[in-house]
Amino acid sequence: MGIKDLSKLIQEHAPAAIKESEMKNYFGRKVAIDASMALYQFMIAIRGDGDVLTNETGDVTSHLMGMFYRTIRMLDNGIKPVWVFDGKPPELKSVTLAKRKERREGAEKDLEEAKEVGEGEDVEKFQRRLVRVTKQHNDEAKHLLKLMGVPYFEAPSEAEAQCAQLVRDGKVFATATEDMDALTFGSSILLRHMTFSEAKKMPILEVHLSKVLEDFGISHDQFIDLCILLGCDYCDSIRGIGPKKAFDLIKKHENLEGVLANLDKKKYPVPEDWPFEVVRQYFQKPEVTPGTDVTFKWEEPDEAGLIAYLCADKGFAEDRVRKQVDKLKKMKQAGPVQSRMGDFFKVIPSEAKPKPVIPAASDSKKKDTDSGSKRKGAPAEKKSASASKKPRCGR
Amino acid sequence: MPASTVGFEAKMDHASLLKKVIEAIKDLLGDCTWDCTNTGMSLQSMDSSHVALVNVMMKSEGFARYKCERNLNMGISLASMAKVLKCAGQEDNVIIKTDGDSSTVTFVFGNDDGDRTAEFELKLMNIDVEHLGIPETDYDCIIKMPSGEFKRLCGDLSQFGDSVAISCTKGEVRFEAQGDIGTGHIRLSKKGSADKPDEEISIELEQPVSLTFALKYLNNFAKATPLSATVRLCMSNNHPLCVEYPMPEVGHIRYYLAPKIEEEAD
Repeated sequence: MGIKDLSKLIQEHAPAAIKESEMKNYFGRKVAIDASMALYQFMIAIRGDGDVLTNETGDVTSHLMGMFYRTIRMLDNGIKPVWVFDGKPPELKSVTLAKRKERREGAEKDLEEAKEVGEGEDVEKFQRRLVRVTKQHNDEAKHLLKLMGVPYFEAPSEAEAQCAQLVRDGKVFATATEDMDALTFGSSILLRHMTFSEAKKMPILEVHLSKVLEDFGISHDQFIDLCILLGCDYCDSIRGIGPKKAFDLIKKHENLEGVLANLDKKKYPVPEDWPFEVVRQYFQKPEVTPGTDVTFKWEEPDEAGLIAYLCADKGFAEDRVRKQVDKLKKMKQAGPVQSRMGDFFKVIPSEAKPKPVIPAASDSKKKDTDSGSKRKGAPAEKKSASASKKPRCGR
Repeated sequence: MPASTVGFEAKMDHASLLKKVIEAIKDLLGDCTWDCTNTGMSLQSMDSSHVALVNVMMKSEGFARYKCERNLNMGISLASMAKVLKCAGQEDNVIIKTDGDSSTVTFVFGNDDGDRTAEFELKLMNIDVEHLGIPETDYDCIIKMPSGEFKRLCGDLSQFGDSVAISCTKGEVRFEAQGDIGTGHIRLSKKGSADKPDEEISIELEQPVSLTFALKYLNNFAKATPLSATVRLCMSNNHPLCVEYPMPEVGHIRYYLAPKIEEEAD
C-alpha cells in the first residue's frame, strides 16, 4: 500500500516538510478524504472481541460506525470533508491485486489452522489480513454520507489520484489519507491521521510536497521515479534497493533510465517485466475527473433517514445517534465563518533558517532580515486562501 | 577569542516592562523569533490557528543602552522567557545579551544599588518562521479608547457569545454579542476630555464599518492592557482588525485578527 518507506525518507531528509497540527486548526478547510483507505482502516481498527463489529443480524457495521463518528468529528472541528471513493482499479494494479488475493487466500488457510490449534492471537492476526472492503461496504458508506448531507465523489479509478487532482484544481485544501502516494500523484498537501479516533490523541501531520521536493533537491518527475524505486502499488521494486540506496541513486543519476544504465544488474536484479515507464506515466497522468466543474455541497442532514437506516436497519443505539444528529444540525446553523490571516496578508518568501542565531548581515541571500521595514512595502492585494495554495509540483 | 564577541546587548531600566510585553503575548503565541537589528527588537508571529497575528516593536531608543552589531534572529519559547522574567524584581533593570554564534541568550537582572545581580541563560531554538507582509492600510475607521474599557467590554460580551459584531457609524460604535442565554449590546460615544487624554474616546470615520470577530482572541489581546492606558482599534470592512497598544517612547504591540465572514453560498 502506498510508497514503501517514503515517510521515513521524508522524516530523514525533509523534516521541515512535515508539520504537526491539531484538527481544530483546519476549521473552514475543504479536505478530500481517501474513502477506500479510511474504510479499510475502520474495519481493521473498530472491532469488538477481536472481530469486526456486527449487528444482531450479523451485518458488518465497523465501516458505518467509523464513517459516521469520524465524519462528525471533522465537521465538529469546522472541517468540510469530501469523501472520494475508488473506481475500477487501473490495469497496472492487477499484479498487486493478484498478490493481495494470494496473500488473502494464504491467510484464510492459516486462519483455519490457527482456529483449530486455538491460538487466539494468531486468529486475530489472520482475521485482520482477511479484511476486505467490498462494494456493499462502499455503497452503504455512500448511502450514509448522503443521509448526513456530506458530499462524496466517485473517482474513475484510484481515489488518491482523484484527491490529488481536486487539490490541484483548488477545489480542496488537502488530501487526507495515510497512503503516501497522494504526494506522488501531486497533492501539494497531504494530511495524515485525519480519520483517526480522537481517543488516539494523534496530532495531524501536514506534509508539504513542495518542501519535500525542495529539501530532497529533486523535481516532481524525479520524485515519481524515486517512488517507483522505493516500491509502489503498480510494479515490483528491485530487490536489494532500500530507501537509502534509492534516494542516493536518484540523486546521482537523476532518473530511472540513468539508474538502470549504471546499476550493477548482478547485484541488483531488475525484474524481468518492469514497466517503469508506464507506471511513471500513470503517476504523471492518472485517470481522473477534472475538478474544475465540480461543486461540493454540505447539506442539512436527513434526521429521519439516519435514524431509520442506522438504528432500525443497522442496530445502532438510537439515543447516541440522535445526539450526533443534533450536533450535525447545530453545525449547519453555525453562522459566519472564521477567516485566516493568510486570506489577507501574504507570506514574505524567506530562506531556510539553518541556525538558531543567524548572522544575517553577512549573508546577502537573506531577504527577511529587515522584515521590519519590508512589511510595510508589501502588496495590499487580497489573496484568497485557495488561490495562494496553488500546487507547484514541477509538472 | 577576545571577550568582545557580544553581537547583541540591550539594557532596559525596567524589567517589568519586558515582563508585561511577554505576559501580553505568551498565551497567544508559543515559540517565536525576535528579530534584532540596530533599529530595535521586533517580533512577528501568528497563533497556531493562523487567525491572529502579533507584531511587537521595541525601538532601540526605548532602551537605556542598545547595541546590535549584526542582525540576529533569536528563536525563543515565550513560556520560558516568562519564567525567566518572573525572577525579576519589581524595580530591577535587565540586560539582554547574546553573541552571534552562541545558542543561548542571557538575561541579567540587577537592582539600582548594584548589590544583587541574577543571571539566567535560555537556550535558543531554531524556529521555522513565516513572515507575513502587512500592507500599509488606510483604515475606514479608527477608534481610540481607554484600554481598560476595551478589556471590560470584551469580557462582558464573552458571557453572551463567542463573537462580537462591531459596527461603527458617525459618532458612535456598537459592540454586540448573542448566544443561547440572550444578547449583549454595548454602545460607546465620542468623548473628549482635554485634561484627561487617557479617558478620551475618539472615532475617526471614513465610512461605516460592520465586522464580526471571535471574542476569545480579543480577550487574549486585552492582556496587553497593563502596557498602555489607551488602545486603538483600526477597522476596514472585510479586512483584519488591528488592535494597537502603544508603548510611549518604546514602540507598540499590534494584534491583527482575521474577521468572521458570512459564508458565500457555493
